[in-house]
Amino acid sequence: MSVLLEIEDLHAAVGDKEIIKGFNLTINEGEVHAIMGPNGAGKSTLSYVLTGREGYEVTKGSIKFKGKDLLDLEVSERACEGLFLSMQYPVEIPGVPTTAFLKHAVNAKRKYQNLPELDTMEFIKQLREDGKVLGVDNEMLKRHVNVGFSGGEKKKMETLQMCVLKPDLAILDEADSGLDIDAMKTVSDGVNSLRDSKRSLLIITHYQRLLNYIEPDFVHIFANGKIIKSGKKELALELEEKGYANFVKEAE
Amino acid sequence: MTKLLDIESPKKDDLWLENLRTEALKTFRSVGLPQPKTEIWKYTKPRDLFADDFTINAPKQVQSFDVDLGFPAYKIEFFNGKLEKAPQDLPKNVSLCSILEAREKIGSLLKLSKYPFAALNTAFLENGIFLTIKKNTHLDKPLVLVNKTASGEENFFYNLRHLIVLEENASAEILEHYAYQGEEKSRYFCNIVSEIHLQQNAILHHYKVQEEAFKACHLALNLVNVGRNAHYDACCIQKGGNLARNESKILLSEESAQANMNCAYLMNGWATIDNTTYVKHLAPHTFSDQLVKGVVGGNAKGVFQGKIHIAKDCVKVEGNQLHRALLLSDTAEIDCKPELEIFADDVRCTHGAATGVLDEMQLFYMQSRGINEKDAKQMLIDAYLDDVINKIYNNDIKDWIKNRI
Repeated sequence: MSVLLEIEDLHAAVGDKEIIKGFNLTINEGEVHAIMGPNGAGKSTLSYVLTGREGYEVTKGSIKFKGKDLLDLEVSERACEGLFLSMQYPVEIPGVPTTAFLKHAVNAKRKYQNLPELDTMEFIKQLREDGKVLGVDNEMLKRHVNVGFSGGEKKKMETLQMCVLKPDLAILDEADSGLDIDAMKTVSDGVNSLRDSKRSLLIITHYQRLLNYIEPDFVHIFANGKIIKSGKKELALELEEKGYANFVKEAE
Repeated sequence: MTKLLDIESPKKDDLWLENLRTEALKTFRSVGLPQPKTEIWKYTKPRDLFADDFTINAPKQVQSFDVDLGFPAYKIEFFNGKLEKAPQDLPKNVSLCSILEAREKIGSLLKLSKYPFAALNTAFLENGIFLTIKKNTHLDKPLVLVNKTASGEENFFYNLRHLIVLEENASAEILEHYAYQGEEKSRYFCNIVSEIHLQQNAILHHYKVQEEAFKACHLALNLVNVGRNAHYDACCIQKGGNLARNESKILLSEESAQANMNCAYLMNGWATIDNTTYVKHLAPHTFSDQLVKGVVGGNAKGVFQGKIHIAKDCVKVEGNQLHRALLLSDTAEIDCKPELEIFADDVRCTHGAATGVLDEMQLFYMQSRGINEKDAKQMLIDAYLDDVINKIYNNDIKDWIKNRI
């Protein structure tokens, strides 16, 4: 089993404020890791640091993805290398049709990998099939990216994008927020269908709930910018019972 | 090579024309070029036009070129200000001839002392079309005026003058395309005046795509008179030139006349692109609507001046105007001046202006899907201008324009 992502002593700041303070994590191929933490722990910051959003500055430490220095790569290059972020609040892009957007994204990745561009008809056929499984109908695909979508529809669209882009590492940031029980099942089924021995997931969540649907191999408790405890999936249940405060106290 | 104010037009063996030109030249010289205080030229300073020398002699050793439209059209081609090709297959109720044949019909919408560049244009009146679409005639294909320029080393100056008449119940689509080929740094000044008359129930879709050389100066003035229940629907795309101005004065002179004037402009470098409109509601139940959107980068400057005038007793009038612009750099500039002059009660008028930047979160989202920064920006720019382009009535022209942005 080879290493996919290796984060060592990561420190990151937004403006003058240090948010990630000495974060270490190694994810091997095919593993599912869950990061659980209270509000303000720096979970979303971590996802933005990994994907390279502007304004999230790494002040110390290193991130290796498939052996490459991730911090040397542009946002789009990281995506083309196989990193994907399912966002907590997917962004609306008026004027850009969903299908055209996805086709552009898929072809950007193929171009990066020196593969020929996909045929439009073939792409649309595949997209519709993937969409059907996730309850994303043709009408939604015709609309502009996330515009006028409900919270649940946006999360389904994120999952559909993940199915289409087939990343090596998908980061799911609060993938369950705003989802009802049925939608949560649809989204998790979509995510689970992508699980295989090569693809890894990093699930960022407040609650244990989602982990009933997408079972993690490892659970990490994240507070004050670093991991304070790691364990197997049972740790999530223990956390649910005791609350974050106890673990934070213990760590101090 | 001489300064614009000293330039002379060649003598013509035609007394009427000679008088018209001489009078116009006199007017131009007495009014002069717009001064810094001239309100209608508040933001756009035609400084180069003062300072530079010009020649009216077309450059030699330049070659014409083809512009492929890819859709069926009646194509009229001008090269360096002279007619090159005219369509031979126009329907019989459509008359097309030289502007000189329009004689006294020329200039009825124009007070030269108010428009120095139109006076200059009249002083050189020679090239351009006089088009009449006869009563009850629908022009089955768009008429495309391709204005090609290939300039040499000298600062070339030329004028075009068009007169377009749509008689009762006539309808047509006209596309003006300003294309350039040749030396990148080539400079020239083209000065265009179009007069358009729409009689009762006539409909004109008037599109313009301006892609002049990046050092060129392009000044266009459209004067439109819209009759009873007639509809003037314009869409102007400007993306070329160092100094480019599209000015439209629309007279909604009879009841239920309607005008839509949409514009999109995008530019970089040190360019100034100006869209100036003046809509006069002169009758009750008239309607006007404008959507103007710009994308400005580099050190460029976008100008929008929009004036809506509603005359006394013109009730049940609606006039709308919206200008929005995207600034792509810290040094880009937008100057926007909406004006309403309302002398009637019971009218509905709106105007708005907004300036913004590309949304950082949208850019990040697209890049996080693998789309590189350049493409992501381009997609957002296209999306930004999309609602202007989507107002284009003709789908062939709409697609053609989309491919050029």
